[in-house]
Amino acid sequence: MRRRNTIHAQAVGLSLILGFIGLAVVTAAQEEDMATVSVALAPRAEGLIIARCSVCHSPDLIAQQRLPRERWEATVEKMKHWGAEISHDEADLLVRFLSARYHPGAPDHLPPLDSELRKAEPFTQDSAAEGPVTGVATRGAGIFEHNCQACHGTGATGGMGPKLAKNPILKHEDLFRETVLHGRGPMPAWGSVLSHQDIADIHAWLVTR
Amino acid sequence: MTLSRRSLLGRLLQGLGAAVIVNQHVLVAQAAGEEPARSESGPLTVRVTRPFDAETPVREFLPFLTPNHRFFVRSHFGPPPPEAVSEANWRLRVGGLVERSQECTLKDLRQMDAVTITAVVQCSGNGRAFHRPKVPGVQWERGAVGNAEWTGVRLRDLLAKAGVQAGARHVQFQGADRPVVASVPLFTRSIPLEKALHPDTILAYEMNGRPLPLLHGAPLRVITPGWMADSCTKWLMEITVQAEESKGYYMETAYRVPTTPVEPGGSMSGPSTPTEAMAVKSLIAAPQEGETVKSGPVTIQGMAWSGEAKVVKVDVSFDEGKTWEPARLVGDDRPYAWRQWQLVWKAKTAGTLTILCRATDARGEQQPATTPWNPGGFLWNGWDRVTVTVSA
Repeated sequence: MRRRNTIHAQAVGLSLILGFIGLAVVTAAQEEDMATVSVALAPRAEGLIIARCSVCHSPDLIAQQRLPRERWEATVEKMKHWGAEISHDEADLLVRFLSARYHPGAPDHLPPLDSELRKAEPFTQDSAAEGPVTGVATRGAGIFEHNCQACHGTGATGGMGPKLAKNPILKHEDLFRETVLHGRGPMPAWGSVLSHQDIADIHAWLVTR
Repeated sequence: MTLSRRSLLGRLLQGLGAAVIVNQHVLVAQAAGEEPARSESGPLTVRVTRPFDAETPVREFLPFLTPNHRFFVRSHFGPPPPEAVSEANWRLRVGGLVERSQECTLKDLRQMDAVTITAVVQCSGNGRAFHRPKVPGVQWERGAVGNAEWTGVRLRDLLAKAGVQAGARHVQFQGADRPVVASVPLFTRSIPLEKALHPDTILAYEMNGRPLPLLHGAPLRVITPGWMADSCTKWLMEITVQAEESKGYYMETAYRVPTTPVEPGGSMSGPSTPTEAMAVKSLIAAPQEGETVKSGPVTIQGMAWSGEAKVVKVDVSFDEGKTWEPARLVGDDRPYAWRQWQLVWKAKTAGTLTILCRATDARGEQQPATTPWNPGGFLWNGWDRVTVTVSA
């Protein structure tokens, strides 16, 4: 990326001053800690970003920001206010991850997170249940509203994503579950957010539509 | 399956346009969880994959007009579905404080007097990436700007048909683009009536002699020559004449700059004003950043523009702005277009060197070394800067 020497010179001067003040506040050990924090939180945070943020925008918009914690807090709050389905705990996790990875001192080109740690980690507790689960349509309605409706439309009648009411895929519950878990085409993977039970509940509700 | 997803995708994409392929590669990279891919060699440098935001590589600014497929793309929600803006379905409504509400088809508009204006269109956030401390938003560098010929009807002709009532002060524009989630505020903007009635403010249905492309606002967009692109609503569907400036996030919060200086890193607590006129600015299009040039004569070329005045001077510096040499203004000289400039430089000493440029307009406004920091990172117009290596 281009460097502007004038700004650079100012920035060097400023960072010298800030550096002395900052020395007392942010030690090298804490910098190290930020990297550790971002790696530790990455699997869950990245799953959340795909599920909650990329409904409206691709994650590259996030990755190009370099902001202090209070700006990340304000940004996540703004997105919640605009309708992002982010719980209090999720917002907290996102802010911790974002301000540890995409802070003002982070380089323009960040090394990718360790791929082993990057596998989306399920949030929900009952995801270990691999066997067939019975869906509950009344629960599915609410889960659909909070997770799927933005793209698939109110009442699953379609929107940016295809119409799901009376969609042939509903006849193949295993294929439906795989699609939700791992995504397909422009649809992101939901494995980090929805449990097998959640998916079965959504399925049960969709077949009533 | 014997084919990997990537090679299958590659095969599927064979025969499609390079821009699409680049875009798909970005999507694949994202699906794989990689850092965003930046294509520096394609027709556009992608900043955000969805909604699609991309800027023009500066080397592409050498021609006077920026071709449609290389023109920067910015919107908040991406284009509306093509059927929503197809000629059969699309209508333009004019309402609010008017005597006679109007509903026009594209054919109706094409039957009105047509005007063509060459104008720079520039995103208010162009150069945001250079503000320090960094500011949230799309990290545009130098290329969220372009110069095109826009053909359409005068907004004032349409407003005359409708009959503007006394008490009208602002004109609101609403495009057909919609957010994915209905709770996100619409991109609703207004401009003062005076600008709306200016004879050069037009509703354009052609760009560089071609029907307006979907990414650039088909079938109709606003062009407010000399003003920033946030006033140039794309996919225009509704014009509302009103007494007040529009409400909502994109008028009251975003696209505003402080009227008194804000401490870098601070927030907008004092008075502010919407981003309107463009600030005087110039860019170096050749040589390119990082290029190696042979010692001897080297032609330095670029463009310069200003919102509401003519560019009268462009200077080039080879010593970090201590001394400046005037460049020659060349090519077409049209009111709202950019002006091309050249300077033949005799590169002598081998080594790395930085070339700077700055423009001055007829009001005496001069491009500063850096632009005052503002919370939105708007209106960057600091000196442009290209570092080259001179080989013996």
